[in-house]
Formats: sequence, C-alpha cells, structure tokens
Amino acid sequence: MNRQFIEDLREIYPGDRLLTRDVELLPYESDALTAFQTKPGAVVLPENADEIIATVRLCHEHSVPFVARGSGTSLSGGSLPIADGLTIALNRLNRIKHIDPQQRIAIVEPGVVNLHISQAAQPYGLYYAPDPSSQSICTIGGNIAFNSGGAHCLKYGMTSNHVLGMKVVLADGSLTEFGGESLDGCGIGPDLIGLFVGSEGLFGIALELTLRLLPLPELYRTVLAAFDDLGRAGDAVSLVVASGLLPGAIEIMDRLAIRAAETVGANYPDAEALLIVELEGEAPQVEAEFAQLRELIQRSGAFEIRTAQSEDERARIWKGRKSAFSAVGRLSPDYIVQDGVVPRSRLGEALLQIDALKRRYGLEVANVFHAGDGNLHPLILFDGREEGALHKAEALAGEILAMCVKLGGSITGEHGVGVEKRDYMPAMFSEAELDVMLALRKAIDPREIANRGKMFPGGEAPALTMQGMHPLERQGVISRE
Amino acid sequence: MISSEKQIRAFVGGHTRLHVRGLGSKPALHQVDAPILDLSALRGIVEYQPGEFTLTVRAGTPLREVIDALGERGQYLPFDPLLPDSASIGGTVASNLSGSRRHRFGGARDFVLGATVVDGTAQSYTVGGKVVKNAAGFDLTKFLVGSLGRYAILTELTFKVFPDVKRFRSLRFTYRVLADALAASYAINRSRFELDALDILPGVAGAAVLARLGGFSETLPARVERFSEFVATTTAPQHVEVIEDELSIWDCVAGLDGACLAKVTLAPRQLPALDAAIHGAKRRYILAGNIAFVACEDAGWLGDVLARQGLRGLLLRGDARSPLLGAPLENVLAARVKATLDPLGKLV
Repeated sequence: MNRQFIEDLREIYPGDRLLTRDVELLPYESDALTAFQTKPGAVVLPENADEIIATVRLCHEHSVPFVARGSGTSLSGGSLPIADGLTIALNRLNRIKHIDPQQRIAIVEPGVVNLHISQAAQPYGLYYAPDPSSQSICTIGGNIAFNSGGAHCLKYGMTSNHVLGMKVVLADGSLTEFGGESLDGCGIGPDLIGLFVGSEGLFGIALELTLRLLPLPELYRTVLAAFDDLGRAGDAVSLVVASGLLPGAIEIMDRLAIRAAETVGANYPDAEALLIVELEGEAPQVEAEFAQLRELIQRSGAFEIRTAQSEDERARIWKGRKSAFSAVGRLSPDYIVQDGVVPRSRLGEALLQIDALKRRYGLEVANVFHAGDGNLHPLILFDGREEGALHKAEALAGEILAMCVKLGGSITGEHGVGVEKRDYMPAMFSEAELDVMLALRKAIDPREIANRGKMFPGGEAPALTMQGMHPLERQGVISRE
Repeated sequence: MISSEKQIRAFVGGHTRLHVRGLGSKPALHQVDAPILDLSALRGIVEYQPGEFTLTVRAGTPLREVIDALGERGQYLPFDPLLPDSASIGGTVASNLSGSRRHRFGGARDFVLGATVVDGTAQSYTVGGKVVKNAAGFDLTKFLVGSLGRYAILTELTFKVFPDVKRFRSLRFTYRVLADALAASYAINRSRFELDALDILPGVAGAAVLARLGGFSETLPARVERFSEFVATTTAPQHVEVIEDELSIWDCVAGLDGACLAKVTLAPRQLPALDAAIHGAKRRYILAGNIAFVACEDAGWLGDVLARQGLRGLLLRGDARSPLLGAPLENVLAARVKATLDPLGKLV
C-alpha cells in the first residue's frame, strides 16, 4: 500500500481509527468463512457518511481496492479483505436515525445490527422481518450487500423486499439516491434498489437505508413433527405447500443435524427427520390454519407432533434449529456449509443424491434446510488436520452445487457468491450472461476496486487454510443459517 | 407479427431506434417517434408448475390469460397487476403497475424471479432464475421492473405465485375530513390485522377508507367483527359499512375517467399536500396512501404539481411529451446500466 495513500487516509482518520499494524489487522483477516484468510493493507473505522465518501474517493484516485465490512459474518467470504487493499469497517455507523411508526419505516446507517432494528421498533408493535441466523450480530449493510434471507423469508421475502430507499456512494465516488419513504420503493422508473441489493459490495457502499417495518404478528403457532424417514418429512412439506397454507417458515433437519442440536440441549425427539412449521398472523386465522396444518402433518405419517404452548417453547424449538450449525462443530473439527437451491418438488431427489455423494466421498453430511423454498444447507464434516481433507470436502461441495444447477436451481439461495462460489458461476450462467454482469460491474466501477476478487470467477486467490470455526461461532454468538 | 426471440433480435439489429409495446393498454407510454416493436403476438404460457408455485410466460401474453390459468389451480399473482382485462404481463412489469391487492405481499418486483431479455445490442440472455430463492449474480430482473423497455426488452418472465385466498369481506369507513381518513389508515396499517387491501378514497365531502380482509370463510365473520370494532374504537368513523358486492370496488382505476390517468408514488405523509393541490381531480390512494392514481384533464398541470412537491408520476393515458411526470428521474447508476445494456441508445 503506497505511503501517500496512507498519509491521505490519516488526514481523514485521526488517532486510532486507521489501523495498519499487523496485530491490529489480525481480527479482520477473515469473515465467517474461516477457510479463507487474507491480510488487508489497512483498516479504517469511519464514523459518518462523509468519511466513507472521502475514503472511497481516495481509493478510486489511488486505484486501491476496498471492501466494506460490517460484523464479518459472511458465509461466502464476501467480506474477506483484499490483499493489500483497504477494509472499511462500518460498525461505528450504527445509528438508527429515525423510526416512523405511522409510515412503518426505519431510517438507519449501514453498521446497525439487524436485530437492533426490531428491538427499536418493538415498542411500536413493529419489527424488521428478514432474520438471518446471525441477526444478533450481523449488520444491515452486509444484509443489503448479500440480500440476506432467513428462516422467515418464505412468506415475506428477503432483504431486497424490505428496502424502500437508499443513499449510496458508488465505487468511483459518485453519490446517488434511489427510492424513498414510499412502500412503493423506486415506484417509477427502473428498480435501482433491486439492482444494488445483493450486488455483494461490487457497486459501492450503502450510506443510509430506509427499511420497511411490519406489524408484529398477533399469534405464532409453531409445530415440530418427528419422522422416521427423511423422505416422509419432505412429503409432508409438499402436502403443506399444496394445501394452500402460507406458513412463515418450513424447516427440515436430518438425523445428524438433530444429533448436533442435542449438544445445545434442544431436547428434540429421536428421529430420522424433524419438520418445523410456523404459522403467524391474525389469531383467529392462524388458529384455523393451525387445525388444518395439524391434520395434514398427522396424515403425513409423523410419529410425534409437538406444538409450542408458550413463547419459551417456541424459542426452544428455534434455538435447536438456529444453533444446529454451530452445534455440528461439536461433532466434527471442521465443516463447510453449502447454500444451494433446488425446485421444491425435487428436494427428495436432491437429498438422495447428496446421500450418494457423501458415501462416494466417505464424508459425513448433515442436512438442515429451508424446505419451504428448496434452499438446502448441507454441512460437510471433515477434519482439517488430515492431509487433503479440506480439498476433498470442497470437491464434494462443488458436486452438490453442480447438482443444484442441474436440477434447475441455484448455487446460492441467501449466502451469496463471494469468494467461495465464484468458480461455480459459469455452471449457472452462460458466458453471455457473465459478460453482461462483468460489463455492468466495469461501467459502475471502472477500476474494479469495490470488493475486488468476489463474485466473478478467476479473481485473485486468497490463502486457503482450515482453522476451524469462527471464534464467535464456537461460543455460540453467531451461527450459520 | 413478431412472435419469437429471433425476430426480436433481428428487429433490434435492423433499427437504430425502436420502442417496445405490448398490448398498448397504456397509450401515454407509447407517444414516441420511433419504430414500434409490437410484442402482442409474443404470447403464451411457457411453463406452469402449480406444485412449485412458479410460472414462466411470454411477455406479450394478456394478463387475463395468466390470471385465468392460475385461477384454475387456486393460485394468483399477489402483486395484483393493473388493467387485468387489457394489459400484457410484460407491459405490466415494465411499467410496474399494481392494484390495491398488492398491499398484502408486495409489488411486481417482489414476485419476478427471472426473465429472458434482448438488450440494445440485440443480444439475448436470461437474468435471474426459475427457483423461488436465488442470490447468485446481479439482480437485473428486479432492475427491469419499471424500466419501460428502455434498457432491455423483456421476452419471457418467471414469477413466484401464491395460493389465493378463499373468501373476502370488504368494509368502508367514512370520515369527516381526509386527515381523519389518513389517520385511520395509519392506525390500521400498523395494527395486527392482516389486510388484503387498504385504500383511501377522497370524496366531495370527507373521505373513506376501504379495507379488505381475506381468509377462511369460517373465521371471516368473527375477524370482520373484531376488525370493525378496532377501527370504530380507535378512529371513530362516521359510518361503517360492510360492502356486499365487494369485488367491484377493488378495481382501483374504475371511475377515474378523464383525458389523463397517472400513477404517483408517494409517502403517506406527503398525501395531504398532494391532495390539496389536486383537489379538483379524480383520485384514489392505494397501499395505505403510498400510491396514488390520479385522473385529470391536463397532464402538464399534474406534472407541474408533482415537480413542485418533489414527487414522480407515470402517465398511463393522456398527451404529454414524456410519460414521466414530476421530479426528474435521472440517476447515475441507471445511466451506467443503460450504457452497458443499450450503448447506442436504441431503446426509447
């Protein structure tokens, strides 16, 4: 990193808000995809939008690549530093500027933690719907970059469906705004919000966001059903979906994932597969839907059905599910999580193929998935201390992604491409499609400095090592969806 | 007649300027001096998988055909496309036009999963995917919603659809003044009642709030009673009426006759000032006051009003130099997409 650039940065960042020493940079070397590590050239800690704008302009001027980073919970290496690039850590831009309960909107800075928005809205009977499993720590800026999902996105959509307005700085320092306070979002003209959300930080940095809030549901009804066969749990999902019910969430865990959840005291039934279905909404309607749901699940051959009788019981059901991934870490020294999507009706087929693949590779795979929208999360277990184990696990992961594309799905449902899946983009998109995306990137960021090396195949390769789980994950603070 | 992607590519390749039109149900969008690429023959359902809740359809397909096909399987397009009896599906997405029922789950952008397009360089490719969840690559599909065919031509679209609701009941609450109706709309919109639609109708004297509840027939009467009681106690309407012939009241542009018709995007807090300025025009506010449909005699006048208030509108019917009314829409990000997808500026 050239000296002039550092000196110019020091003009913007006094004192301890510019980090350049090795010991200071260490915590920023990787995100939640700990297999990849890269040392940034420097880290800056802006406290307001003007500092971000000045920094981006400086990066553009010096052609220094940068990555904007929130809490670093990306599972695809999306917030992995760029070698000798700048990491712009946005955690100090954590103000919820305004909540307007009448219009049901919140105006926030990008470093605000996802869950804090719901907490601030709660006194007004409102909440922010997208709920990635890391919501107690992940920031809204990261959610925007990766169009984050969560278990409850089945009914109300992903992050993109909840953003009404944005102020952004593009990678060349241009400022722009789109959308506003209307629930119609961009409303007239092209949907720029839709384009920016999920662009993985390759267009620029969101400075301020206007988000849609929803009224807290009056009633939840959460059902846990145990099956002696994974296929039967899948059939139950088909029954529920075909019935016309529209649950807030439909999740499945297989035996290994259930066993893992037991290590965090989930107290789940001993089963081959567990199905969690949650209904939410107006009390009389939910009660009627619940009666129908119970009947469907009974008919589908569940050998045990539990219904949460209190908020505590509901929280317990979800705790087991949401901490299943970190719990898998107690069964195995290392694991890779994948995020492929298959058409809902081909879930059974996909699971059979994963089963065959794991046998062929001689590796254990735990399955946890958002069954309602066909979003698989196979966890490939391995021991990184064994020679070649990581590469074997990666090869298996690659085959699973290829299978998802072949079945008509996607390589990622909610984690994004990042560094991890960039080499699989050609499996999903034609050369013409990739060329258009790359041309778009270059038109918006001619020097290709914003989050360089992500999304597109063939970027610079970060060091690939395996050092186990993210420290916060090991402590159960964050978890993978 | 153009009925294939190949013909579209040839048309784009053979022209220096062109304008896309579907069924022409929004004439104000097509007052352009350029050769028309007529997509009315590019029609038909390509793939409908009721079990997957996904549908792929050619852009020029009449909405009615799509709605009926879905209806046969108890499904619907939750973004409630506007002008269901005259518009095409592609035109509806390209102009981002939804009716009152988009209140519950969102607009077209929230239900379009992917598309096949031909861009200004006559190149054809797909954007997005065909599964209900997909986070790979840039979301050009969403970008094209509302883009008026000026960045790329939509030839085929894939949607996520939902199971339709079995029964509905609608209520009309009347208030002495518009401010009271807006206050009621605020209270209802942040309540725990899940409404299918929530509109505000200014009248000659006072204003009304129209609300629609949908769900199981066995629970609907009790829910209507609970809701009605909530609105009565929190907002004190002058009258409450349960509407018998409820379907007819949800065509949000019905009765908005006049030389011009426009959609306006606004925040509810901007509604009182807008309404005061367009008092003489016929108007209806949908989505709890977040979208207005305005009928008037002079588009220039409406454009001036919107510009003064920093609002934007889209003219669907009436004469004007551009269908884009009000505050300018120029945007650096949009300009760069244009330079990429249509570098020669063919698509107007």
